[in-house]
Amino acid sequence: MSDYIFLFDMDSTITRKEVLPEIAQKINRLDEMRRLTEATMRGEIPFRTSFLQRVEILSDIPVHEVNKIVSEIPLNTAIVDFIRKNSDRCYIVTGNLDVWISGLMKKIGMENHCYCSKADVVDDHIAKIVSVADKELIVRQFVQQMVTVGDGDNDSGMARMANIAIGFGGVREIAPSLIRNIDFAFYDDQRCADFLWKLL
Amino acid sequence: MEKADKTTVIICCAGMGTRLGIGTTKALVDISGKPLIIRQLEQLAEYDDIRIVVGFDAERVIQTVKEYRQDIMFVFNYDYEHTGTADSLRRALLGANDIIIALDGDIVLNAHDFQKFLKYDGECLGISENATCEPIIADIENGKVVKLRKGIGDVQWSGVTKIKKNRLDGQDKHVYDMLNKQLPLDYVGVRLKEINTQEDYDKAIMWYENGCCD
Repeated sequence: MSDYIFLFDMDSTITRKEVLPEIAQKINRLDEMRRLTEATMRGEIPFRTSFLQRVEILSDIPVHEVNKIVSEIPLNTAIVDFIRKNSDRCYIVTGNLDVWISGLMKKIGMENHCYCSKADVVDDHIAKIVSVADKELIVRQFVQQMVTVGDGDNDSGMARMANIAIGFGGVREIAPSLIRNIDFAFYDDQRCADFLWKLL
Repeated sequence: MEKADKTTVIICCAGMGTRLGIGTTKALVDISGKPLIIRQLEQLAEYDDIRIVVGFDAERVIQTVKEYRQDIMFVFNYDYEHTGTADSLRRALLGANDIIIALDGDIVLNAHDFQKFLKYDGECLGISENATCEPIIADIENGKVVKLRKGIGDVQWSGVTKIKKNRLDGQDKHVYDMLNKQLPLDYVGVRLKEINTQEDYDKAIMWYENGCCD
């Protein structure tokens, strides 16, 4: 039995679709969302800048609607099953907003195990962003040995801090900056989960 | 085969193909219309836990492999220039099954012989003749491999190995150093061509197109 804790990115690692583009599609602003998302994944726009712009794009949609869309996004079932069954040792580390993802976190049993960005809500709309999560800083706070799983440029920092860093490319390509910082890569949900089970 | 689910297959592709002069890792060389790594994977269809160690040109190897099969685990070794083959193998052992089948990504295998090796009941080494100009020699006594060494000899070992995971310990630089401590081991004849040089490559293509026979 190991002492590892398991830290997961949310978007395209837990979810089988990209979350923000999925929401943008509902208000016909997919193209600009996609451009920003791609540039961010490639590391061309810092996550913080890009995230604030992407939230702006989605600011017209009531928060409860976004929360509902996110909680209904299809999931990588084998990875999520691992998280549900080992919830005491798993944490989600995501740049996404608390008020948007609370439904999904509850659904996968991570409502008290989630590190994320935070926003104030007034009249069911985002009034202001309070904080944008810096994954590397968050991960630095952990004391235990860590396994990290992610796919994006902003997962590179936590991958460097990890004892075992895993890239998951089953939904979208693993970011080039991340692929230089991981020990293992998977492109299949079940195979990734099989390996996680062996690390317990 | 009863052991496929208790076995982990490790293919080491981290090294580069500088001597071959094609600027890519040897696993991607074309063997009569398909990359070498795909030729190997076609012969490993029944195995679930297949791990490919990548380093030089990792993204291209991954791209090629996952177009053929998604459920592969990729193991990264970017230090391949400074470390030996044993380091690549060790990185792939985390969470592996009890029985390890290891092979290098630069060999073209006779499919019939390789299946015989895979189905062999117990630990063994795959040995061959005329596999490359720069071989590791396998000395054989009383029907077993007793020593692996560089030099001159009739029987060669090109990395094809089936062994229990717990026997692959130690900090040796090369896999053959690691295995020397575990000898004697049984062997199975596996006709193959190892691709180290342009001459090797030309011979391997002719051999492959001749049905993997000399």
